[in-house]
Amino acid sequence: MRFSSKSLVFLLALTLILSAGNSFKVAGANKVTIKFFSNLPDRTAGQGRLEQLLIENYMKANPHVEVKVEALQDEPYKQKFRVYTAGNQLPDLFMVWGQPAFFDPIMKGGYAAELNRNDYKDYGFFPGSLDGFSMNGKLYGLARNTDLMVLYYNEKLFKDNGIQVPTDYDQLVTAVKAFRKLGITPIAQNGRDSWVLNILYQDLVIKESGDQSLIYKAIDQKEKFAYHKHLLAAAQDLEELVKIGIFQDSFIAADYGAARNLFGQEMAAMFYMGSWETGLAVDENFSASFRNNVSVVAFPGMKGQGKGRTTDMMGWFGGGYAVSSSSPVKEEAIKLINYIMAPENWAKNAWQLGLVIPGQKYDQFMTGNENKLQLQISKILNKATSFSGTPWNDAATPGFKVDSQTIIQEFAAGMKDPAKFLEACDQAARKAKQ
Amino acid sequence: MKKYKLSDGILDVAPVKSRNWARLLIYLLLLIVAIGQLFPLIWLLDFSLAKDGELFGPKILIWPSNPQFENYKVAWVDGKIPQYLFNSIIVNVISVSLTVLFSVMMSYAFTRMQWKLKNFCLTIVLLGMMIPIHATLLPNFSSFRVLGISDSFLGLIIPYIGITLPMGTFLMTGFIKSIPVSIEESILIDGGGIFHLIIHAIFPLAKPAVITVVIMTFFTTWNDFIMAATYLASDKYRTLPFAVYNFAGQYASRYAVQFAVMTLVALPSLILYMILNEQITKGITIGAIKG
Repeated sequence: MRFSSKSLVFLLALTLILSAGNSFKVAGANKVTIKFFSNLPDRTAGQGRLEQLLIENYMKANPHVEVKVEALQDEPYKQKFRVYTAGNQLPDLFMVWGQPAFFDPIMKGGYAAELNRNDYKDYGFFPGSLDGFSMNGKLYGLARNTDLMVLYYNEKLFKDNGIQVPTDYDQLVTAVKAFRKLGITPIAQNGRDSWVLNILYQDLVIKESGDQSLIYKAIDQKEKFAYHKHLLAAAQDLEELVKIGIFQDSFIAADYGAARNLFGQEMAAMFYMGSWETGLAVDENFSASFRNNVSVVAFPGMKGQGKGRTTDMMGWFGGGYAVSSSSPVKEEAIKLINYIMAPENWAKNAWQLGLVIPGQKYDQFMTGNENKLQLQISKILNKATSFSGTPWNDAATPGFKVDSQTIIQEFAAGMKDPAKFLEACDQAARKAKQ
Repeated sequence: MKKYKLSDGILDVAPVKSRNWARLLIYLLLLIVAIGQLFPLIWLLDFSLAKDGELFGPKILIWPSNPQFENYKVAWVDGKIPQYLFNSIIVNVISVSLTVLFSVMMSYAFTRMQWKLKNFCLTIVLLGMMIPIHATLLPNFSSFRVLGISDSFLGLIIPYIGITLPMGTFLMTGFIKSIPVSIEESILIDGGGIFHLIIHAIFPLAKPAVITVVIMTFFTTWNDFIMAATYLASDKYRTLPFAVYNFAGQYASRYAVQFAVMTLVALPSLILYMILNEQITKGITIGAIKG
């Protein structure tokens, strides 16, 4: 290991050159550079590909604009987003989740530029889709997709075993018991991600009470988790479902891919997931038998008076875009966001490529080539009588998100009984209010 | 009952048979350890040749009837492996070399030279080991912005050196202390200067410690993602760990291709380990004793 002075000099020179090279940036005459911060790192498939495609089309149509994309996956995205906001150096255009836990501090802090609501009159955004992106009547962002929680199921597994596809909660319990007896996993669940468990609990609260606002009142501590009969009933339902084995064994350790594959490999009868999974019907990674047999229903409601029906649904508008208020190219960034979210761009393509359910009206983009799941979910969406809004774990502070997700995981793992679970929820809600 | 054996006129007390048993047991134990070590690699390779839909099934290993070599092609091209590899090599070679150079020179100054505030300065440097990386992200990010070196190789090399230097100095000071001073004295008597002394005496003598520092620095910087994700924004500077994320969707990802990427990313470390196997073991054990 000999170090000659030559190699030493060379090394230092190399460092210098590398650092100097950075300062030789040639600024084009009228060139505008827009920094675009995205949560879709895969630019060659799915939504990331569509986003990239739209950006490239925009650059082609506007040669003076250069868009620089920085893309990180959710967790690293949130981490870097914090760093950017702390230094007040947010990129010009960025992805946001239209949920209080994420976007409220951004809007309150004045980091997001106000958008002109009138610009979007003809964009066909669904009613309520922009609520999560607004504060005090001012609009700060645009929603990308409609997210609806549904129950995907395998028709063949139901038919072959003579089990009825559940249309109410009692039938769900019967189906779960029947599948367990046959050694088939009833519902594939990614318990490690915990947010699906949060959503399932909220879905049960809706079905028990028929009241979409109940859980938010509890978070606001206008109701107490521990003393409300519907909140308790929903917790008992969830406990019962776990006890009769609704999920695969070791579901707490399973992540998204594991649960999805369990369903795709026809080893689980159902998959409780969002409307973004319509691609299951055409996923070449799974067998033809699965693709032909995958189908979808709304999560079953309860029988009886004052209870939630199947049409009272878990649905919200999650991701979207916003523009930085301190951006030096704010006008250009707003033009770009308007281009991407124009109905003929994001909504049309996202629907026709079968990626997601757009946050805008998409009836005019129906081609007849849609896959079965897309059409079924469209029908479910049209029949829905009420939507929940932001899932409860995302509906308060970032701290509450962490707490509520930990609590539900412990509850589902059997470490807490319903009473303890509800007490912990109250505690987390009180902490979030302080 | 003990058995005795006479060989070459010497009485052998330990029975031959039981010695074989002991050896067999050791081999068996080593075999289990080896399988435990190798299994993750086999698993990685195995999954990298499967289809996305086949993963996470009931079988631990899948023998793909139709191996998807396509995964590697996609990983190489869409994962931008050549470009990221090039960046990783630049950043790593410079960070590792400078860390070694600085840690040797600093350690020499701390152990052999007499100056005011020596111990105070050493403590300050060693304190760096106590600071978690996450605590440095935001202040560094802001300072780099002001200095105009964010989103550049330099903006990654500096924090890498900063994070690895304290440990490197810690190991080197311990090692240099154990080198007899008489060697340096004789060089000085012969008219050698200070740099001559460091390059021709300390460096070769401290080789085991140097190798330890090289390895530790290399693995830290080669695998780092969080610092690179924070300090870099442009794709052109990104390093290898980003390649895996190029196949991450919002919910589900292209897992099989990610396995192929991981195989490719792990390969350089693996090859390096095979080549330097003996040095690494030596370096780590010596470093451990001295540290």
